[in-house]
Amino acid sequence: MTGLLILLLFLVAGNLLQSQLDSPVPGSIIGMLLLLVFLIIRGRAPESLSQISKTLSPLLPLFIIPVSVGIVTQKELLAENGVALLVIMAVSIIPGAIVCAAVMKAGRKRDAE
Amino acid sequence: MLNELLHMPLFWAMLTIAAFTVGQYVYRLLGNTAFLPPILTGIILVSVVLEVTGISFDTYMEGGQYLHLMLGPVVVMLAVPLYQFIHVMKKEWLRISLAITLGSGTTVAVAVAMAHFWIGNDPITITMSTKSVTTPVAVTVSEQLGGVGALASAFVIITGVFGALMIPPLLKSVKLDDPKAMGLTLGVCAHAIGTSRAIELGNQQAAYSAMAMTLTATLHAVLLPLVM
Repeated sequence: MTGLLILLLFLVAGNLLQSQLDSPVPGSIIGMLLLLVFLIIRGRAPESLSQISKTLSPLLPLFIIPVSVGIVTQKELLAENGVALLVIMAVSIIPGAIVCAAVMKAGRKRDAE
Repeated sequence: MLNELLHMPLFWAMLTIAAFTVGQYVYRLLGNTAFLPPILTGIILVSVVLEVTGISFDTYMEGGQYLHLMLGPVVVMLAVPLYQFIHVMKKEWLRISLAITLGSGTTVAVAVAMAHFWIGNDPITITMSTKSVTTPVAVTVSEQLGGVGALASAFVIITGVFGALMIPPLLKSVKLDDPKAMGLTLGVCAHAIGTSRAIELGNQQAAYSAMAMTLTATLHAVLLPLVM
């Protein structure tokens, strides 16, 4: 339970900071960065946190289903632009993938020399 | 009686869990294929039930919100794998950071530009910018930016399926398919669904993909609200 408490503590802190600073970065992301800093300073992840992480990770997709089902409210938009959207998503992967893999490989070649 | 059941919030929470469980079963039945992740089956099943029964999304969400509520803690939880990857990254942090920043930047820039000039609908363009970020983060960031959470989720999942399908043969054809580059690219361009594909390819691919996915999500979650 301590693990969940830690997560909620940082989430609440993140949300509070977000509204206080009027930040465009979402509160949960601020909470995540705060927790990351905490872990770096502490030097290792508390056992309770690793535990809750193991428990919740497989359930992650389940928590996304409700908001995703909202797609039923976007039927007109999809009927109108569905094909264009699919093409955009397929095409835009190609340059990104090549750039990413090329940079990763280029760097390594230099190292080997 | 049926009407009463269909307006019971707990029924919809239960149905969502049932749909996800069926999704997991189908996924295993098909040999863990990256092309039908459990979340996709879950979304389709729940959407079909809503269509058939004529129940509105708002009514559904009265039950769905119980599960939706967990999204916040789960995003905070991403700090744990991120922290573990910092050790892996130490040796090659510059190469990895560059590959992730330039790679994810390129795919997002191309997608946003195409959406802007082809469709020209601002909420769609904004939502498109979160397509390479893992779903919980994409939904959160997209809603913050004035995009549509439900669309963000759909874009991310479809991008993931396409990426898992296209990236391995694509990188092989241009001879950039060494394990680290393959893993990293799958994580950057196809996030969690790419990572499940990477797991099939090997341990090194899997580790690099999971790391790339978490780093991309963090980078975009911080940068997109400032840029868009």
